[in-house]
Amino acid sequence: MDMEELRKEKLERLESALTCKEPDRVPILVFNDVFCGKYSGYTAQEIYFDYEKWKDATLNVAKNFNFDYIFTLNGLEGMFLFASFIEKAPEVAANMRFVTGPYHQILEDTYTRWPGIELKEDVHPQFIGKEIMKKEEYDKFIEAPIKFMHEVALPRICKNLANPGSMEYNTTLTRLGAEATNYGNATLQLIMELKNIGYPFFPMAHSYAPLDFLGDFLRDIKNVILDLYRDPETVKGAIEAITSHMIKTGTISGTIPPEVKEMFGTEIVWCFYPLHLTEYLKPELYNEYYWPSLLKVFKETIKAGLLPFVLFEGSHDTHLETLQSIPKHSIAGMFEKTDPRKVKEVIGDRMCIMYGPPNSLLIGSTPEKVHDWTRELLVDMKDDGGFILFPGVDAAGIAKDARPENIKAMMDAVEKYGKY
Amino acid sequence: MTSEDFIKALVGLDEEKALELARERIEKGDDPLKILEDMRKAADKIGKKFEDGEYFVSDLILTGEIFNEIMEMLKPLIKKKKVKRKGKVVAGTVEGDIHDIGKNIVIALLEAEGFEVIDIGVDQPPEAFIEAIKKHKPDIVSLSGLLTEAIESMKNTIDAIKEAGLRDKVKIIVGGGRTNEEVKEYTEADEWADDAATGVKKMKKLIGAD
Repeated sequence: MDMEELRKEKLERLESALTCKEPDRVPILVFNDVFCGKYSGYTAQEIYFDYEKWKDATLNVAKNFNFDYIFTLNGLEGMFLFASFIEKAPEVAANMRFVTGPYHQILEDTYTRWPGIELKEDVHPQFIGKEIMKKEEYDKFIEAPIKFMHEVALPRICKNLANPGSMEYNTTLTRLGAEATNYGNATLQLIMELKNIGYPFFPMAHSYAPLDFLGDFLRDIKNVILDLYRDPETVKGAIEAITSHMIKTGTISGTIPPEVKEMFGTEIVWCFYPLHLTEYLKPELYNEYYWPSLLKVFKETIKAGLLPFVLFEGSHDTHLETLQSIPKHSIAGMFEKTDPRKVKEVIGDRMCIMYGPPNSLLIGSTPEKVHDWTRELLVDMKDDGGFILFPGVDAAGIAKDARPENIKAMMDAVEKYGKY
Repeated sequence: MTSEDFIKALVGLDEEKALELARERIEKGDDPLKILEDMRKAADKIGKKFEDGEYFVSDLILTGEIFNEIMEMLKPLIKKKKVKRKGKVVAGTVEGDIHDIGKNIVIALLEAEGFEVIDIGVDQPPEAFIEAIKKHKPDIVSLSGLLTEAIESMKNTIDAIKEAGLRDKVKIIVGGGRTNEEVKEYTEADEWADDAATGVKKMKKLIGAD
């Protein structure tokens, strides 16, 4: 088949599923992670520090597995950078949504650990986080959140930004800007090469759950939870202060030039939200402090024409009812540990659901078992459309040690049982 | 009366009250082992509430924090006494993974349960676990990890423990957000848990202390 035709076929399949309609078959969407490295003979270090090898490995997987979509993200959680720069310098911030290996070398951030630097060379990089803001600094943050990020947080997060105004500080920011351009160019090349071999692309904006922003980048997860028990009103003030900025990061980054939409032939623009604290929080805390501000951000980004692409990490079992308040057919969500059958039972066809075999299955099981598991999932989930197969739900992507034959078995099952 | 109030404050996660009562009891000269025994009772009840879906991970994090704060007060007093422990656990996060929230809650709960815990830290290679088994002769080895890659490290660690001829000397539990029955089978561990309360319960069962 002609590659352009193939791309359009996949694009249409995804667009239908994302908007809760029935496509020709269930699409397969992949975050391929370090799997592409191991599959192509590269270490994790090579994948994360050498953009050429990363591109090569991703294209290799794209050619050998006929997925419908491959994400070209490469790095660890970097919303602290993105949110700090997006309002004043959207063109540079666009390439700073994730901390890449080279960014880590330039900034020496204290949040992340990388293969070949702090970790062994073939280990997945890890976001650890750190307490950056002290409890008594909430008020200062609430007064001017982005100012606080620049003047207080970034110098603490990044060793090489410790002394604002110093030669080291200025040099670091200059180098970061240059590296962001390198990364942006590499990403764009990869997207275009994927397009040439029949892969569609949706532009992506980025936002964040306000309470996650506090937990992931300022107080750390444990502390923000303890704050919610010990001093909830102050946390609420901080949530309110950051919410408008989270809306802005989404709408600014979601302003996509018409020529880009035209090039990829789609009107859909995703807005990416990885949710982190949901499983930790008891419903009283979730309903009072997590959900209202997130719902507000969802609604505003939807109003701006974006389609939230949400990773519901951990278990969402106890919070499913809240999803009823999301505007109908306007978001797509991957569920890590909540059975998608249960999601469908509770919220019906309200949103596009993404789910697939966890890595524990892709790593430790046999092709027969993966095939059967996928068939059962499709039988239960595919009716009426609005369903996307998302392998590796337990790590937001296919992990390094997943067995290629298991991935093939999953794809065979989709060909056989995923058609409408 | 104090004992009951103390347990009630702990189970109700009333941090201020629990710490105040602990301080009062210590000042009054209460037997620290009695205080510890009350903490064990409270940990049991909290675990049950978690199991029943009444408590959540956030509650366990607060529990871990409260228990740690009280253990800090009790440890110097307990050290002076000869205490018969329920069992000994070597706990660590496996190689390639440096997450420790889960491990630390497990340790707080285990200590409250009267276990002696040797925490060998994060990103620990198989040799570190083997060395700790030889040195401390634990009843249980607890392998933690949050990442998917931790599954492979858990398997490598258990394989190495087998090769060192130590597998039948210890029970092994794998724990963390990505573990499940398949991971237990794949790694050939004795048990698995994806939350701290269940982990502690299963460990008690493993050595017949439940």
